[in-house]
Amino acid sequence: MASKSLKNLTAPLSGNNPVIVQILGICSALAVTVQLKPAIVMGLSVMVVTAFSNLVMSLLRNGVPSRIRIIVQLVVIATLVILVDQVLKAFVYDVSKQLSVYVGLIITNCIVMGRVEAFALQNKPWDSFLDGIGNGLGYASILVIIAFFRELFGSGTLFGFRVIPESLYLAEGGFYSNCGLMLFPPMALIIVGCIIWAHRSFNKDLQEK
Amino acid sequence: MKFNTNSNTYIIIYSVVMVVIVAVLLAVAALGLAPRQQENMLNEKKTQIVKALGEDPATVAYDSVISKAVILDASGAVVSEDVKEVFAALNDLKGSFAAGRFPLFVANTGVVVPLYGAGLWGPIWGYIALGTDMNTVKGIVLDHSGETPGLGAEITTPKHQAMYPGKTVYEGDAIVGVTLKKGGADKNNPHEVDAITGGTKTSDGVTAMISDCLNYYKPYFDAARAAATVEAESNTVNE
Repeated sequence: MASKSLKNLTAPLSGNNPVIVQILGICSALAVTVQLKPAIVMGLSVMVVTAFSNLVMSLLRNGVPSRIRIIVQLVVIATLVILVDQVLKAFVYDVSKQLSVYVGLIITNCIVMGRVEAFALQNKPWDSFLDGIGNGLGYASILVIIAFFRELFGSGTLFGFRVIPESLYLAEGGFYSNCGLMLFPPMALIIVGCIIWAHRSFNKDLQEK
Repeated sequence: MKFNTNSNTYIIIYSVVMVVIVAVLLAVAALGLAPRQQENMLNEKKTQIVKALGEDPATVAYDSVISKAVILDASGAVVSEDVKEVFAALNDLKGSFAAGRFPLFVANTGVVVPLYGAGLWGPIWGYIALGTDMNTVKGIVLDHSGETPGLGAEITTPKHQAMYPGKTVYEGDAIVGVTLKKGGADKNNPHEVDAITGGTKTSDGVTAMISDCLNYYKPYFDAARAAATVEAESNTVNE
């Protein structure tokens, strides 16, 4: 049982990753990955929301009228997202300013409702909670990978610290300039594509025949 | 299962209970966290005002540099000196400007003017500090809600904001502000700084914002400059 519970946590990290295998949550993966710091906070916020919405919905699963279950899910998720937003505003104000509207948009993240509908309504609270944590982490890990490349090649920095020396830049007499395309959302999509490509060539069972 | 979870009565009772619980929960959270959130917002404004004056907010307190906060009317006369009212006016700066209420922070070393304008994607705002001559820029703080990261959003970087101090905003008797010049500023022009490469629309927005907002305060600046000239002249006479 313990190993089965653990599998709920680890499966979404690679083999059943929400972003690169289930192709969910792509929209926000494009929006908040220009820099690493907001990507990490966004990943953690989504993790909190998926974990607790899974937990709450799993606790409620026997009492929820199936005809209005989607509305109930939406109410639970929206409540959690508003709470996360309020807490961020009260305790890490500068980060919440950076994420601005994207915290509110966690509500529309397909991963959250997808996991509630597909997992939490059929499983016990603890398993559902772990599944939520796992999917949140799986999402966060992809965000961090994308943000790493976009910030490094788009701005020459990591976490806001300069990695590529100023002296190499064209403006300072060097040969290097930042890749402007990296700063735009389409590049995130291309990076997601590259990650999926690399991931599938290592995990042959995921390849479609 | 005791209940038929698909009966209409059950569904209606379920929804009502759910909505009430959620409403109570959110109301408690919002009320409980509101003081902290407002304090954060107030602190951020104070920090930016101190920063605009070229001081380090980590070591210099707002109260030690700003001697008074006032609201001016269109003729430059003080209509309020209530600090709370001034900060309330900052919360809706666009509306305050439209209503002819212009908040201003007076420091011993100059004044801080709040700015509000339009960037490429959304609003931009900030604070600009002028020296006691009401002409020389002491510093600027710029912020935005949704400019393109790496391009327009570069206006928030220290590198960009470091170009402003020492520039002047008066050309003769007119306020021209500081222009963000595409292709690089003319070093001999005291009213120009470099625009953001790839952020032309945002740069134009900042240019317009600085000149528009400073012109709201022109009567006050003119009066202060006239007073300074008179004082300087009377000093010469006395000597």
